[in-house]
Amino acid sequence: MTTHVAPPQRRKFLITMLGGLGALIAAASVWPVFRFLSPVDTGGSSNQVFLARDVVAPGKAHFFQYQGKPAVILQPTPGNFVALSAVCTHLGCVVAWQEQAGEFLCPCHAGRFSADGQVLGGPPPKPLESLVVQLDGDQLKIG
Amino acid sequence: MSRLVCSLFVVILAAWWSMPASLLAADTVCIQCHGGLEGRLGEPVAQWQTSVHAENGISCHDCHGGDPADSAMAMSPERGFIGVPDYVDVPDFCGRCHVGVAEEYKAGAHGQAIENGGAQCVVCHGNHAIEKATLELINEEDCSQCHTYERAALIRMSLVETDKVITTVEHDLERLYRLGFAVDDMQGELFNQRNRFHRIFHGVDVERVRRETADVEGELGKIVKQVVSMDSTLSQRKLWGSVVIGLFVLAGVVFLLLRKAYEEEEKS
Amino acid sequence: MQPIKWLVEFVEVRLGVKELYNRELKGYLLPRNVNAWYTLGAVLLALFTLQTLTGILLLMFYVPDAAKAFASVQYIVNEVPFGWLFRMLHAIGANVIVIALLLHMLSVLFMASYKGRREFTWLSGFIIFNLTMGICLTGYLLPWSQLSFWATTVATDAAGAIPIVGDYLVEFLRGGPTVGNQTLGRFFALHVVGMPLVLLALIGAHLFCVKRRGISPPPFGPEYHATEAKPFFEHEKHPGGVPFFPNYFVKDAAIICFFIAFLLAIIFYAPGLFFPDSAFQPADPFLTPPHIKPEWYFLWAYQALKIFPSEIIGLGVQGAFMTFLALLPFIDRGPERRPAKRPLFVTCYVLGILLIVAISIWGHYS
Repeated sequence: MTTHVAPPQRRKFLITMLGGLGALIAAASVWPVFRFLSPVDTGGSSNQVFLARDVVAPGKAHFFQYQGKPAVILQPTPGNFVALSAVCTHLGCVVAWQEQAGEFLCPCHAGRFSADGQVLGGPPPKPLESLVVQLDGDQLKIG
Repeated sequence: MSRLVCSLFVVILAAWWSMPASLLAADTVCIQCHGGLEGRLGEPVAQWQTSVHAENGISCHDCHGGDPADSAMAMSPERGFIGVPDYVDVPDFCGRCHVGVAEEYKAGAHGQAIENGGAQCVVCHGNHAIEKATLELINEEDCSQCHTYERAALIRMSLVETDKVITTVEHDLERLYRLGFAVDDMQGELFNQRNRFHRIFHGVDVERVRRETADVEGELGKIVKQVVSMDSTLSQRKLWGSVVIGLFVLAGVVFLLLRKAYEEEEKS
Repeated sequence: MQPIKWLVEFVEVRLGVKELYNRELKGYLLPRNVNAWYTLGAVLLALFTLQTLTGILLLMFYVPDAAKAFASVQYIVNEVPFGWLFRMLHAIGANVIVIALLLHMLSVLFMASYKGRREFTWLSGFIIFNLTMGICLTGYLLPWSQLSFWATTVATDAAGAIPIVGDYLVEFLRGGPTVGNQTLGRFFALHVVGMPLVLLALIGAHLFCVKRRGISPPPFGPEYHATEAKPFFEHEKHPGGVPFFPNYFVKDAAIICFFIAFLLAIIFYAPGLFFPDSAFQPADPFLTPPHIKPEWYFLWAYQALKIFPSEIIGLGVQGAFMTFLALLPFIDRGPERRPAKRPLFVTCYVLGILLIVAISIWGHYS
């Protein structure tokens, strides 16, 4: 070496360099792990779901997946369909349909919702999210 | 004694380790008898052993019928033995497996003329020593035994490009497969297109060959596109991989320089 | 006060870390003539850590079921982002670990570092080596490819050569008459939990032995002196030596970087090096693929089984050889450690390596 730098100064420079390299290597290692762990698109997030009209009889409820989450469709009166998110707005349990009472009951903390999703009682802060339903021939189009 | 046991052991193990799939199919009474015969009755065995049929485990009885496990009844018509088919029956004989090709062939000029000596399967492909078909089978020497080469030459010309693409894609898929890519679907589609392609020129109709070949090429193009995208993924990985390798080497060198600085301090 | 300084002070007053640092890291002195071979232990620690991390990631998608295992690996490699990378790091990393283990063992042998009452260090290291082979063998089955299936069939079959209990032992290892779902279950459990836990304990024991007894200095140069055996325990100190941290640690780090670069170079430039064709075909219990061979580090054992007139003799010779290696520090008891003064040992060492390499190459081409 023509110009000799004292070891302590050289060390400082080298350690700074290592800091930079280390940051790059850390980024190159963390990025693949982050991508590996990122949620997968399972195709369940499609915006529209088609169901056969006869899956739900008048007065009954039918549960299905909508955008990866539980949803429910009802036929309160013949030819009239209502679709709702089945996730309780309190703490995320799935509500159950009480056929006799004609309302939803959340089994976790006894939240009650009407057939159109309005809160009837219990802790839920908001009505169930309502989904758009269209009758298209023999098919029900949700969303 | 122990030497004998030793060599026996080595032979058994060697045989076990090196046993290709075709040999499993070979151990039939047909081969046991005919393998030892001379001339016309023995030759087919040796010829068959070099064939694409042997390679894929298709043995005598798969075409000729009979019972491959019972030497007394091996050639009994009761057990479905067929023996040598007549000249005009050969297309049906082969067509039991090569269904599409046989259908196309029968509708074409060769098939229509079979009663008058029109070429059938083994005229071009040979019989027991049959090899994997290539475009080389369409050549002036063989075709002009019966007719002028002109039309055959036109057909061959329109097939050359597609044939090349198929071979290239076959190799590409094999290469990607060995890198762990899931190419089963693509291989299946290629197999379909290859069959379709092989099938069409057995009808020996120039116009139809041209039309259908263009279609096959379109389908092949889709597979090629997927191969190209996989290859670009690979080269991208390699690029980034090289960068990271460079980072690690660089970090290693800097660590060594750091060690050198410490060493100098330790000495002073 | 700066936040970092504050944090250090916060921990210091509670745990006394500065004293710990000064005693165990900065004050942990290595011999002055310590060489690059001494970094292999740290390299192995780093590589084992990498295996653990990639293994945990792979576990998130891998399904240990004979009907689904192959497809789940295909899914990891083809569908999961960077799944191919973690799979390759894990599979090829295992090979690099074996390389590093062999280098570590061979350098210790050559420098006779097992001498000077270091039998426990050697023994624990030797068991780690064998256990790692076991982890490799059990991990090999998990992708449920033709290679996995038949390599495991052949490996477990070798136990059948043991008299009387052999046949039962083979079934016991497999959990059934042939390799199947039960085999996959037990190999999976051993590979991901059982063996790694034991390995962790053994690595702890190994490090404890190294630290407690003190580093064995390289047997080269003017500083060399034969250590006399005293009738009581004594930690081998190296006054005026190189502080482990940060002075020697940076060399550990450098070699670790080079090893990782080597691992990545195989992944990106020779990905097929350790994967024969049969590694890409799903397991088929009714079709033995032609030319199936064990992994390169088992080739010598595989070929040794074939050259002896009976399998039991082959197994016996292998067992005797491994036992001899395990007990070497109890057999080779002289104080001399300089290779130049141990011609018999060095001759056996070189010939032994050549023999194993030759048998392996023979096994590869036979």
